[in-house]
Amino acid sequence: MSLLIELALYLATGAAYWWWTQNLTVFGLAPNLLFAAALCAAILSGPVKAVAWGFFAGLYADMLGSGALGGWALTWSLMAYGVHALKRHFDMSSPFSQLVAAPALSWACLLFYQGLSLVFGRVSPVGVKIFLAEPFLNALAVPVVFRVFYGLKRRYGAL
Amino acid sequence: MSREKDAANYAIVFFAAVSVLLLLFPVSKFAHTARIAVSYSLYPSLHYGARYGYFVRNVPSNFVKLLETDQENRALTDKVRDLEVRLRNASAQVAENERLTREMKLSRSLPWTGTWARVVNKTPADWYGSFFIDKGSEDGVAVNDTVLGMQDDRAGLAGRVLEVYPKFSKVLLLTNAAASAVCSISPGGFEALVEGKGTWLLRMNYVPEEAAVEPGAELVTSPGGLLFPAGVYVGKVTKVYPRESFMNFITADVKPAVDVNTLKEVFVVRRNIPGDLMTYRQQGERK
Repeated sequence: MSLLIELALYLATGAAYWWWTQNLTVFGLAPNLLFAAALCAAILSGPVKAVAWGFFAGLYADMLGSGALGGWALTWSLMAYGVHALKRHFDMSSPFSQLVAAPALSWACLLFYQGLSLVFGRVSPVGVKIFLAEPFLNALAVPVVFRVFYGLKRRYGAL
Repeated sequence: MSREKDAANYAIVFFAAVSVLLLLFPVSKFAHTARIAVSYSLYPSLHYGARYGYFVRNVPSNFVKLLETDQENRALTDKVRDLEVRLRNASAQVAENERLTREMKLSRSLPWTGTWARVVNKTPADWYGSFFIDKGSEDGVAVNDTVLGMQDDRAGLAGRVLEVYPKFSKVLLLTNAAASAVCSISPGGFEALVEGKGTWLLRMNYVPEEAAVEPGAELVTSPGGLLFPAGVYVGKVTKVYPRESFMNFITADVKPAVDVNTLKEVFVVRRNIPGDLMTYRQQGERK
């Protein structure tokens, strides 16, 4: 049952991300809900689910984008692994730590993805505007997404 | 704890390996086409970027043609929309051009000299009273110049210039309650006074009972009136009121020759009325 809920949650996150970036962008910018979902799942779930969420969220982003296929999947899988290691030492469930972690991890992921794209596709997909602004939007989105995921985990045992 | 750590290690190794495989091995033509079809449907804007060539690599040519057709369709739709707007503007300009040509042709046949002016400001509170035109003293317009409007291929009396400024003037319409003109009724030639009422109709007063005015009779300005040149079409009688027992003349409603609501350009006729004659007239009005 929880697997079905997670599948629905995954699809709903992807649909929300797509809808937001199509209809609610401001100056071409929108929070990366897939990144937020991967980060929140990494905070809330066990190790395997955390990495799996990172991988599949990244795969979804790769499918939508024009960059190297597998780039976001690898990036967010590694991020999920890192968060899993970090949360033993820090309380990642508090809004403040999420506000700090979200932009820091966003920048780290964007730099890593840019490197991967240059190596494997010889393209530079990360624009300056996105690099400068998106991490802050992600910082605002992550605590909200975390509340939603946390509620689903408590009520339905998902994640 | 170490079991959890092991699970995390196994998971990251597995998913990282899959990701690297996806990165390393070029995906099949079919899979790449499916990916482009999905992403193109969801993110069409990507295809306008500089990475288009990279994006459509390893894709069947018929699919690329489909994408290009879609792009061309979008560009053409935008172009059609732009052309529709231009066409709408052009048809308005053609209509204006036709109207001005007709008016110019008409003004050449007029026996008076003058200048054309555009109606630039109508006041809602004084709709049938006055308006402003875009010509003033710098263009030779003077107070009491006659203002004609063109309607139904005929010049008609609209009013007279009341105030003159360097670049614009105020016109007192004949429909203004304070305006009047001495007219002669064709075909009889009887003279009567046509006055504005502040509405779309004029009132004709002081018509002798024996004038036998009928609805449809046309009024032109009389040579006896000082303000307007003789022979300008003023309007047409629409209704004649019977004589009241205590009055010795009849009255009538007159439809003005010029509809103020459709007036866009006017012809200002130079009158050059001698100043002392106007002073004498004003003194007479005061008496």
